[in-house]
This record gives sequence, C-alpha cells and structure tokens, in this order.
Amino acid sequence: MSSVELFAWLTLLLPLAGTIVVALAGRRLSGRGAGYVATGAMTLSFASAVGALLALQGLHHEERQVRAVAWDYASTVGIDAQISLLVDPLSVFMILVVAGVSTLIHLYSIAYLDSDRGYVRFFAFLNFFVFSMLLLVLAGNFLLLIVGWAFVGAASYMLISFWYRRTTATNAGIKAFVINVIGDVGLVLGTFFIVRHTGSLDFLETFEGIKSDFSPNDADLVAGCVLLLVGAFAKSAQVPLHTWLPDAMEGPTPVSALIHAATMVTAGVYLIARMHPLFELAPTAADVGAVIGCLTLLIAGTIAIAVTDLKRVIAYSTMSQIGYMIMAVSAGAYAAGLFHLMTHAFFKALLFMAAGSVIAAMAGQQNLDRMGGFKRSLPFTYGCMVIGGLALAGIPPFSGFFSKDEILLLIGDRGGWYWILYVAGYVGAFLTGIYTFRMIFRAFWGDSVPEALELEEGHMHHPDVHSNPANGEIEDTEVGFPGPEHHIAEREPAMKIAMGTLALLAIVGGLLQIPKVTHVIDHFLEPTFAESALYERDPSDGLISFGLILGTIVGLAGIAIAYVVWVRKPGMAARVRARLRPLHGLFANKWYFDELIGVLVVRPAQWFGSFAQQTFERVFVNGVLVGGATGLVRVGSSAVRAAQTGFLRYYAAMLVVGMVGLTMYFLLLS
Amino acid sequence: MTLHLSFAVWLPLAFGVAGLLAPPRLAPKLALAGTLLVLGYAIAYVIDFDSANAGLQHVTDEIWIGELGIHYKLALDGLNLFLVLLTAILWFFCTLWASFGAWEKPRLFYFHLALAQTSVLGALLAQDLALFVVFFDLMLVPFFFLTGIWGGAKRVHATMKLVIYTLVGSLLMLTAAIATGVLAATGEDGLSFAFSDLAQRTIESSTQNWLFLAFAAAFLVKMPAFPFHGWMPDGYKAMPLPVLALFSAVLSKVAAYGFLRICLPLFPDASEHFQTLMLLIALFSILYGSAMAFTTTHARLILGYSSIAQLGFIVLGIFALNSQGAQGAMLQAFNHGLVVAPAFFIVALLSARADGSEDIRDMGGLGMRAPVLATFFLIVTFATLAMPGSSNFVGEFLILLGVFQTKLAIALIASTGVVLAAVYALRLYIRTMHNRTGPRVESRELSLRDGLVLVPLVLAILAIAVYPQFALQRSEPTVTSIVPSALEEKAAAAPLPEASP
Amino acid sequence: MIPFAKVAAPDVDFAGLAPLIAVFGGALIVLMLGLLRSRAARETGVPALSVLSLVIAIGLSIWQWGERTDLVAGALRLDELTLSLTIIFCVAGIASILLSWRHVAPREAAHGEYYALLLTSIAGMIVLVAAQNLVSVFLGLELLSIPLYVLCATEMRRASSLESGLKYLVIGSVGSATLLYGLAFLYGATGATDFKDIAEALGSGGDLVSDPLLLAGIALSIVGLGFKASVAPFHQWTPDVYEGAPTPITAFMAVATKAAAFGIVLRLFDVALIDAAVDWGPPLAALAAFTIVVGNVGALGQSSLKRLLAYSSVAQAGYMLAGVVVASRLGLQATLFYIAVYLVMNLAAFAVIVARERETPLGDDIASLDGLGATRPALAWPMTIAMLALAGFPATAGFIGKFYLIDAAVDGDYAWLGIVIVVGSMISLAYYLKVVAAIWMRPAAESTDLAVLTPGPEPLLAGGSDEATGLRAQGEVVAVAVFFGVLTVVLGVVPSPLFDVVRDAGAALGLL
Repeated sequence: MSSVELFAWLTLLLPLAGTIVVALAGRRLSGRGAGYVATGAMTLSFASAVGALLALQGLHHEERQVRAVAWDYASTVGIDAQISLLVDPLSVFMILVVAGVSTLIHLYSIAYLDSDRGYVRFFAFLNFFVFSMLLLVLAGNFLLLIVGWAFVGAASYMLISFWYRRTTATNAGIKAFVINVIGDVGLVLGTFFIVRHTGSLDFLETFEGIKSDFSPNDADLVAGCVLLLVGAFAKSAQVPLHTWLPDAMEGPTPVSALIHAATMVTAGVYLIARMHPLFELAPTAADVGAVIGCLTLLIAGTIAIAVTDLKRVIAYSTMSQIGYMIMAVSAGAYAAGLFHLMTHAFFKALLFMAAGSVIAAMAGQQNLDRMGGFKRSLPFTYGCMVIGGLALAGIPPFSGFFSKDEILLLIGDRGGWYWILYVAGYVGAFLTGIYTFRMIFRAFWGDSVPEALELEEGHMHHPDVHSNPANGEIEDTEVGFPGPEHHIAEREPAMKIAMGTLALLAIVGGLLQIPKVTHVIDHFLEPTFAESALYERDPSDGLISFGLILGTIVGLAGIAIAYVVWVRKPGMAARVRARLRPLHGLFANKWYFDELIGVLVVRPAQWFGSFAQQTFERVFVNGVLVGGATGLVRVGSSAVRAAQTGFLRYYAAMLVVGMVGLTMYFLLLS
Repeated sequence: MTLHLSFAVWLPLAFGVAGLLAPPRLAPKLALAGTLLVLGYAIAYVIDFDSANAGLQHVTDEIWIGELGIHYKLALDGLNLFLVLLTAILWFFCTLWASFGAWEKPRLFYFHLALAQTSVLGALLAQDLALFVVFFDLMLVPFFFLTGIWGGAKRVHATMKLVIYTLVGSLLMLTAAIATGVLAATGEDGLSFAFSDLAQRTIESSTQNWLFLAFAAAFLVKMPAFPFHGWMPDGYKAMPLPVLALFSAVLSKVAAYGFLRICLPLFPDASEHFQTLMLLIALFSILYGSAMAFTTTHARLILGYSSIAQLGFIVLGIFALNSQGAQGAMLQAFNHGLVVAPAFFIVALLSARADGSEDIRDMGGLGMRAPVLATFFLIVTFATLAMPGSSNFVGEFLILLGVFQTKLAIALIASTGVVLAAVYALRLYIRTMHNRTGPRVESRELSLRDGLVLVPLVLAILAIAVYPQFALQRSEPTVTSIVPSALEEKAAAAPLPEASP
Repeated sequence: MIPFAKVAAPDVDFAGLAPLIAVFGGALIVLMLGLLRSRAARETGVPALSVLSLVIAIGLSIWQWGERTDLVAGALRLDELTLSLTIIFCVAGIASILLSWRHVAPREAAHGEYYALLLTSIAGMIVLVAAQNLVSVFLGLELLSIPLYVLCATEMRRASSLESGLKYLVIGSVGSATLLYGLAFLYGATGATDFKDIAEALGSGGDLVSDPLLLAGIALSIVGLGFKASVAPFHQWTPDVYEGAPTPITAFMAVATKAAAFGIVLRLFDVALIDAAVDWGPPLAALAAFTIVVGNVGALGQSSLKRLLAYSSVAQAGYMLAGVVVASRLGLQATLFYIAVYLVMNLAAFAVIVARERETPLGDDIASLDGLGATRPALAWPMTIAMLALAGFPATAGFIGKFYLIDAAVDGDYAWLGIVIVVGSMISLAYYLKVVAAIWMRPAAESTDLAVLTPGPEPLLAGGSDEATGLRAQGEVVAVAVFFGVLTVVLGVVPSPLFDVVRDAGAALGLL
C-alpha cells in the first residue's frame, strides 16, 4: 500500500475510531475527556490528511490520481462496487478543509458543550459526522459516494435533533433527513442513467469511457446529471430543496458551524466538481446548476435581510454563498468555486462560533431584536465577528474578497448570457454586505441589553427557568438540554484558540490565489481537471481590474447602507419596512417556500395516507375482498339450511325433482 | 464433508416431540438445543457452499410416492442458501426470546414452534413441487395454533382469518401444482414433480397463464401484497410477538422465494406475460404499505405495513426478470428478515417500558435512560429505511437498477417508496425514543438478557452491511442461471405450439 | 313320466365366497348367542364374537387376494376391488362394534339382534360391491339397507332415533325404487342383466349410446345410488338421519354405506356403462360440483357435530364422485384410495364424539369439545388430526387423498373440477377449524372441571392414560380414536401400501 493510500485510509478511519472509543468508553472518561479524545482523533486525522497531501505532491504530475481498494463491496451482475477511495488533488483538497475546520470546531465544542448532559453523545456523533464527510469526499465510486452522502445526512439528522426533548429539534431533524433522502434518491437514479451506458460505477473508469459512451448533451446523460444535481441541491440547500437548512439551526451552534456552514452543505459543490467530465458533456445540465445557484444566492440574500434570528441570518447567508459556489462549478470555474468553498469554510465557521458566543451570553436567546451593545462586553467575539463579516462581505484584503471575485470574474469571462449571472452575483454581493453588517450592528452596537450589562459587570446571565427560545416551551432539564451554564469565547481558551485560528485564516486565506499573482490552488488542482476544457482560462486584465474595483465598491456600499439604516437613523428600518410591506412580507416569510411544499407535497401525502387508513382499508380490503367472499358463502349456507326443513314429504319431493331433472337432461341428450 | 439436509429439516421436529414428552421445564431447553443445532448446520452449509456452482448441492433424492411421481428431494443452491441461514438464525434467537417469557402449556408451545421450523426449512429446501406444496401448507398449521392458543385479544377470530385467507391462495396453488405435473408429463416419461424434470418439460403458454396466476395468488397472499393483506392487521395484532417476528421475517420470504423457485423457471412465458401486472401490484404494495405505515399508530402495524412495502420491493426485483433484480430480491429477502425480527423484539421492549401499550402515542422519551437500546434501535431503523451503507440499500439499489432497465417509469415511481420509508421509519423512532416522555412511560436500559437476543442480530445486520458481497457472490451463479433461462426458454418454447399439432 | 327341464345348479366357489360366508355365519351365531341368559355372554361375548367373525372375514379376504374369478354363475365378481372394499367394511364394522360396546343402543335393542343386523348389513355391502349383475346389485342394496333402517331406530327410548329410522326407511325406499326402475330400464335397453353383456351391447357401437331408454336407466340408477352415497340434491336425509341415529351407527353409515355405494357405482359405471361415459360424464361432474358446494356451505354454522360431519360427508361424496367422473383407472384408484382414507379420518372423529357424548351432558354439541386440548389430549389430538385431514392439510391422509383425486380429475381433462374441489376445501376450513379452535382455544367447560382439578402431569400425546383425568374409563373408544388418528398421519406420510392396494384394484377392472 503506497503512502498516499495509507494516509488517506488513516484520515478516513481515525474519526471512526474516535466515534467508537468515545461511544464505548465515553462515560468512564471524566469531565471533558470525551471531548479531548474526539479532538485528538480529529487532529491526527488532519495530520494524516497533510501527510496525504505531501505524499501526493511527491508523486509525478500524471500519477496524482490514486485508487485505494480495500475489498469488493457489491460486485455482481451489472455492478462492480468496491470499498475504494479515489485520492487525487480534489479529494485531498477537500479532506484538508474538512479535517482542518472540523478539528477547530471540535476544539471549540470541548468548551462550548461543557455543561451539556449529552456531552459524550455529542462527540461520538460529531466524530461520526466527520468520518461520513471524509468518506463522501474520498469515495472512489458512485455507490460509496452515495453511502457517504447518506451517512452525512444521517449524522446531520442526529446532531440537529441532538436536544431530542425539543419537538422543534426532532421535527427539524426529520425534515432535514427526509429532504436529504430525496437527494439520495436523485443521486441513485442519476447513477442509474449513467451506469446504464458506462457499465461501471468506478469514477476513473466512468470518466475515461465517458467520451465514447455519450454524445454531447445525450438525453440520458443530461437526465442523469440533472438527477445528480437534485442530490447536490438537497445537500447544499439550493432552492427549492433548501427549507431544511434554516430549521437545522435547532442544533447546537458548533453543529451549525461544522455541518451547515463548513462541510456538509458544500458537498454539492464537491459533487459537481468531481463529476465535471459529465457536466462538461451535458452543458444543459450544467446551465441548470448555474441558474439555480444564481437564484439561490439572490433569494437567500433577500431573506437574510429580513429574518431576525441570529443563526438563521448566517444560515441564509450560507445558502447564498453556496449559491455562488454551485454557480461557479456549474459554469466551469472549478478552482474558483473550490477556493471560495475553502475561504467560506473559514469565515462562516468563524461567524457561527462568534454567534455561538453571543447566544451563550444571551443564555440561549437567538433573537436579534433582543440583542444589542455586546461590543464592550464581548470584545474578542466582536473582533472575530467583524473579521468574519468583512470576509463574507468581500472587502479586500479579506479572503472572501478574492474567492468571490474570482468566481464572478470567470463567469463574466464566459460571456454570452452568463453576464446575467455576473450581474446577479454582484447584486448578491451588495445584499451580503447589507445583511452581514445589519446583523453585526444590531448585535454589538446600540445600547446594551440587560444580558450585556450583566456581563459587563462580570458575570453571565442565567435564567431561573430555561425555555426553548423557538417556541417558549419549558426545557426538560433532565436530559438533552443545552445545559444550565453557557460558555463564551472570552472565558474559554479552547474557544479562543479555535476562533483565533479561523480569524487568521479568514484574513490571509485569500492570498493563496490572487489574480495574476498567486495560483496555488489552480496549480494544485490541475491534475484532477486535466481533461477539462474550461479549466485553463486567463481573462483580460480589464475585466480583472473592473471586477476587483466593482466588488470592493459594492461590498462597501452594502456596509454603508447597513450603517445608515441600523446605526445612523434607528427609525429608518421601520419606515422602510412600512413602505415595502409586501416585499418585506415575502422576504420575512422566506418566499413562502415551506407553505408551497406543504401544499404540493406534504398535504397530498397525508391525505393519501388517511384515505388509505380510514376509507380504502375498511371498504375495499376488508369490505369487498374479505366480506364479499364470506358473505357469499354465508348466503349459500343459509339457503342450504333453509332447504333442510326436516319434513319427509319435502325431502321426497326434492328427490323426485332432482330425479326428474336429471332424467330430463339425459333424455334431451338422446 | 457430508451434511445430510434431512437432519437439518427434521431435527427441530425431533426435539419438539422430545419436548412434548419431557417434563415441562425442559421444553424450552430442548427447543433451544434443537434450534442451536440447526443453526450450526446452517452455518456449516454456508461454509461448505461452493459459490462457483450454479447447480444443486447436498442433494437428497428419494422417491416418496412413486404413483404420484412425488420425490423427497432436498437440495441447497444459491436461491435458498441464505434463506435457510436466515431461518436458522431467527428461529434460534426467537426461541431464546420466547424462552424469556412463561407460556402456559409450554411443551405444546415449543412443539408448534419446532414444527413450524421444520416445515419452513422443508419448503425452502424442497426440490419437488409437490413436496414444496406440502411443506408450504404445513407451515400454516403451527402458526394457527401458536396464534390461536397463545395470542392476544380476538385471537381465535384472527387466527381463523389468517389461516383461511392464506390457505385460499395455497389451495389454488395445490391444484395448479398438480396440473403442472400432469400437464408437463409426456407419454414416455411419466408423472414427476421434481423441479429438475419439470424444468425440462414445457407447458404451452395458454396453460401457463392460469397456473402462474394460481401460484401468484398463493404467494401474494402469504407475503402479503396489496390488496391481499386483509388478514394482516388482525393477525399481526393477535400473534404473540416472538411468533410474529418469525412469521413476518421468514414466512413472507418463503413466498417471495416461491416466485424465484417456481414461477420464473417453470412458467417463463406467463412470467413475461404478467410482468407488468406483477410490477404494478408490487408498486402499489410499496406506496400503499408506506402510506399506511406512516399513518397508523400501532407499533406492530407500522412494521406490518412497512413489510408490505418491503415485500413490494422484492416482488419488483423478481419481476424485473433480469439478474440484477433477482439478485437484489434475494439479498433483500435475507436483509428484511434479518432486520424486521429485531425490530419486533424492540417493539416488545418498548411496550414493556410503555406500560404494555403498543401505541406510539403512549410512548416517547424512551431513549432517555437507554442509550444502548436507542443506538441499536437507530441502527435497525436506518436498516429498515434502507439507508445507503446498510445492505438493504445494496438490495434496493440492485432491485431498482433491474427494474430501471426494463420498466423505467415504474422504477422512477418506486423510488419514491424509498423516501416514504424514511418518513415512517424515522417517525416510529422519534415518536418512541425522542420527544417528551409519555404519561405512563418509564425509560429503562436494555437488560443483559435482552442483549443476548438483540446484540447478535444487530451485529449480523452490521456485518452484512459492510460485506454484502458475501451473500451476492454465493447467490449469483444460481440466480443468473435461473433468470435469463426464464427468458431463453420462452424464446425456445415460443415456436413449439405451432410445431406440435 | 313328465320330462322337466334340468336346472343346472351353479357350481359355487366356496373359497371365493369365504369372507361373505364368514360374515353371514357370524350374524347367525351372534343371533343365537344373543338368546343366552348370562349377561356376560350377551354384553361381552356377542360383540367379541362379531368382531371375531369380521377379523376372520378380513383374514380370508387377504388370503383370497389376487384371485379374479366370477362367483355364483357370474352373479358376483371376486377381485381386488371386492376384497379391498370387504376389508374396509369389516374395519368399519369392527370400529363401530367397539364404539357400540357399553353403548345404550344395543342394550335397548337386545345385543344379539343389534350385532346380527350390523353383520348382515356388512354382508349386504359385500354382495353389493361384488355384484356384476343388475339383479344381485339390487339384492345387495336391499340387504345392506334394511338392517340399517332398523339399526337407526335402535335407541328406542329416544324419539329422534326412531324418527331417523323412519325417515331413512321411507326415503330409502323411494331411492331403492328409483334404482330398481333404472336397472329395469338398463335391462330393457341392453337386453342383458350381466355387466359384461351390457358393456358388450354398448361397445358394439350403434346408436344404443343415445338410446332414451338406456339414458333414462342411467339417470335413474345415478339417482338411486347417488341417494345412498348422499350426493346432492339427494342428500337431504343425511343430516337428519345421522343426527338421530345412535352415534356408532352413524359412524358405520358414514363410512361403510358410502364406501359400498361408491363401490357399486365404480363397478357399474366403469365396467357396464364405460362406453356411455360421454353421456354420464358431464352430468356426474355437475352433480359432483353441486354436491361439494352444498355439503360444504351446509356444514357451516352447524353446532351439532354429527350434523356437521353429515354435511361434510356429503361434500366428501362430491370429491369421490370426481374420481368416478373421469372414467379412468386413475380415477377409480383415486376414488378407492379416498374411500379408505375417508374411513380412517371419520372413524377417528366419530370415536371422539362417542367419548364426549358419554363424558359430558352436552351430547354431540360442539361445545362438548371445549378445552379438550387441556383436559383430554388423548381425544383432542385424534379429533384435531381428523379435522385437519378432512380439511386436506398436508402430512395427513386427507391431503394425499385429495391430491390423488385432483390428479385424476386434471388427468381426465376435468381440471375445473379440481378447482371446485379446492374451493370446497377452502369453505370447509371454516367449520373444520372451528372444531379445532373449540378443542384448543376455548376454556374447558364446567362439566370437565373434574379433570382440571386432578393433579399430576398431563397425559401424554398418545396412548391416552385417560384414567389420569379421573373420568369414566372407555379404553376401547379412546383406543379407536387414537388408532385411527395415528393411522391418518401414518397414511399421510407413508401412503405407499395403500397405493399398492388400489393399484391392484384398479388393474382388476381392466380399465385404461
């Protein structure tokens, strides 16, 4: 086994080992033991990911696509699935991001979840999630990809409904899981369409044969790719399969940071990048992806301006950012999309951690309307939040600036109708600026709320009776409850380290790939996209500089507006809302997607269920099929018994009648 | 080594009779010993199995009733190997589970349990149509008593309904079976019911059709498939849980197995002719079963209706009439049995913690003090909804792939069943383990004794999930030899009616 | 001196007649013995002797096995069909004698007469099934019927017994008259009374096959014999008579009379009228189907076990008729096989009914079986097996029998009749299983509390140590039940011996 394979396996299996150890031994570990074990496992995993990187760079340029096979998983008539990993620059890039960010989030959680009854369970789940995510990105064939795909869904479900005494949490969990299963099904059917022609589930073989198996825009290929996109959309919360993501904020904040910002939701981006040979042969499908991504980034942006729940604002911004990435990879800007994936992982995780710190200070309360003036009491958190915000809003020299800009640059470079996407992208950037700083201003500026004041006096606010902020239900303090105490970055070194590191990365991350200056990511990923027609492109300097300037202006404009509306003229927000009531209503109600899906899908299903339950089962299955037959027999038996009068003369008569009848028959025969 | 199949078949009955004559307290021990021996045998068969060989292995072939051409012929091949293993495993663990409880008339109880195992194994191993019918109908007798004597409320009515309803199908099958033998018999070579002989002889298409329908009726009722499941709700509610676990896990598989063993090889034309009909029945079973499963609140019925849906998938795979479908069906038959039995066991544990109620509305928060139980239940749940990574997924993947290649539209619709499965499975899990604690609920951890039953079964699920190839590889030669032949023979037999006046 | 025609006395093959003689002789001796004073002689000696004579008859039949000759100038035929049926009658006789012993009926009707009548009836049956001449057919029929009329009424102090006897007598005479008509027409049409000659007359071609006279004859003889075999719609006497008659006699009628009727049906239709099969095939098939349906639906909802079994016997007659319809050797063998199986199953059931009639005040009501499984395994198992066998469950003789009949039906291009048979069986499940449910799934009725109270381990599966239950001992009844119950299972698992027997019988008639 080559060192590349070895490191890849280690990266994959260490978190799994962590899960098992924590699950079995967790209760015996005292205090934060479980947390340390899990984090240790993650650190080792990250280390071996780095090892994989070095080993891969050590290989010759053409050999940087390594298949690591363990054993036959299901190789029988028509399918040839093995337990096989595909280690190439793309997957290594992904495992670096995943393992790296996960390690930091584990570190953060050690402190953040400290007082939770489910501490051990939490870290078992968290490690299992990372294992699933790594499996997803390392999978070497469709079947294993689907397995990883579903595992992250399951892990996500478990973590969303981690506080399982909250009905809100369990409902959010099942919602997330079911929508993810829809994605799985899409993935499976997409695979069918492709395997039907290529005859192999293995990625490399599929990609090799692809040109000969399909003509460009072949109907089956397009159908397959679109179905793959369904999978990608479900996982990456793209419209119309996004409704689970905001609800997923029911989970503990580190979970939101890990799954719903840094890793899982970016799986769709990875998928499209991984499948680029297919999508390049099916431009129609690719365009579908690009358009949906664009729609999502706009819709999510508008919603983010209207919602008042701190974590949901960040959630919608995540949707919006992933919209960018999907748009990018669908439009062929692979490196740019992945670059943004990475930077986004940094600053979005950072934002969530900061938000977690604020929520802790608010003792679980997430409503922006109730917040304000934490600037003084949470200086470190505030700093991180601002850094993250600037990166998100795309202000130079923060990482988000370069990645987002490169995406739009390459899309603009495609020309044609892609200009629409280009423009939409900048509109989105403008919205980003507004909602990000709306959030920051409202939480940290203005006059301090009681919680903030309490904190300034040096001790944290703790309500006597804990209640679920989502629905005011009194918490079941026995188990599955956020915990009596809360932890803020200012007081927890572990949280500080994690956030500090991410803040640093959020600042410098962008330097990896500055137009005309550095091309680290481009060059690193090159082997994976060697065959790609869209990979190597150098846009005109004019476009580049135009984009850089425009991006900066738009971002700053957004921030400025936010400043005016929420700091300068406090009353203005209300007035604007009053003037644009219908529009605000649309945004605040999330474009009525939940209601729409309810009417179109959920209600009919429920109706069918209750119809089957109440009507059909009784009337047809029992009434007609069972009752009919038995009824017939009953009638017959009562007839026979009626004939059995017990009178001799009657029997004799019957005998004679039968005799005559029979004789008649015979005589007619003659 | 030589492993005479008759031992495996008759051992349980022998021990059952012994238990009938021994003092009552020995009865469960004897029953356990018997099932354990059979389990040992089954494992030995799997180890000894030659996975390259498509033909019959460990053949026992005696003339039973010469005048009627009925052979006492038992044999193993890729079709029944894992169902035999499943039967052996589940019977051992369900007997173990049953032995936890105290049954009145224990000797009789374990005798019927043993008789049931003998008849199931017989039906699975029979390589003679008449012998298959004998065992297939015999299966019902012990379950009639097990339900009627040890069942719950309304048990007599339920057991009557169960037996009559299912026998209606089986008796039609009896006539069809005899007709198959008689009509296939040609002048020179006399009456014979051995599959091997019947496979050589061809029956003309028009006749095949009604024969096929009679067999299909028997199998579909036994499974049950929509809309022939009228007996299921009452029966499931009345059966004692260990018995129900066996009934739901094993007997339905015997029916599915019947399609592969009899209908496809013997009635290829008819199988072709009725393919769409069967696929539609399967499709409706999937959708209807799922819909019922996520509306009913009775824990047993949720599993019952989910089984209807699962069996729907199996039928779907069989009547894809290609190797992928059949392979998937085989694997899925094994998986579903392996999953549904522990599910019923868990239902028993839950109702024990919910003050005897089996209505999920009375449950909730059961996972609170029982992390281990919750974990196992979660694994079983994920397996039930065929989450990728569980071997049920590989089964469904193959099934859907098979159908996809023959009837695309049906595959697409059927795939919604996967989503519905997620809904009802998780609903069951969440409503019982999560949310606020029900009024009469007290959460307790899995006892060590219960672990004896649950842990091995869950480990088996995990093992087959990690390495489904183990099963696929062994069943592949036979399955591929049966299914395409079902189509080739059709092609070969098609001109015959014209040729022969 | 006046010359007068010499009548050549037919040479009588006494060896061939031996079984018949044994039974007749037995009847006479028993009648005499019945006159003795000593109670022991009457109550024990008489039955014992009757059993002995029947045993001897069986022995002689086995000794004669393989012989195929005409007796008494061709009036009777000695072949495996005759012999196997003779054995069946004798077995039925022995069983019902054992059931009658210590039963009230013989005490009221004087033991000698009772058993003598029984033996005579058996003799009549032997004559009937051996008959291959229209005259001897009628002779045999009357010889078997008249004693039965009397036997039905032997429980003189019970009105229903007398009623059943009277009903049987009246309707029976109508039936006999019909048959006589039919036979007369046959003679008129063919000009022969001997089966062989009739067959030749029909086989000689010509339009005799569609001769109204012949057809009328066939029709009427079907009615007459169908009456004895209680084929619907000529079955209606059956439930009433079966219910009223003393149970041992009911048992005897149910198995033996039916066997006799089918014996002669087989011989008459498969030997004499074989070439007219085109005529009588379809209507017989229709009758069979009708009988199956009527019998089975009629049995539903009956609370009297004897009535229930009466209807079931009607249904079973329908099944057997299916074997006759196909007019093939396979059909004949199947029918004969089923007759034997039917005997075994029913005797087990009736024995249990007799036992319960004596143990409980409930008579033959189905409630008398409640909770039997817990209190009297030795009775519960045979009854259960019998019911399952009658319903045609596998691993019982009943299954093989039905299998064989359907096999014959399909083979004779009467596949639809096979379907009717199984549809009938489906319906029959409802009432057979009701009995089984009563045995195992109902709490024991108060009348058997005594048994529940008795300490000690439950009695074992077989061998019925019924003393353990502290009830009135009836070794012989339980023994009959257990014996035939076990036999039902044995024949269901190893039917080959019985198959050999029916094969010989089938060969005897020289059918295809």
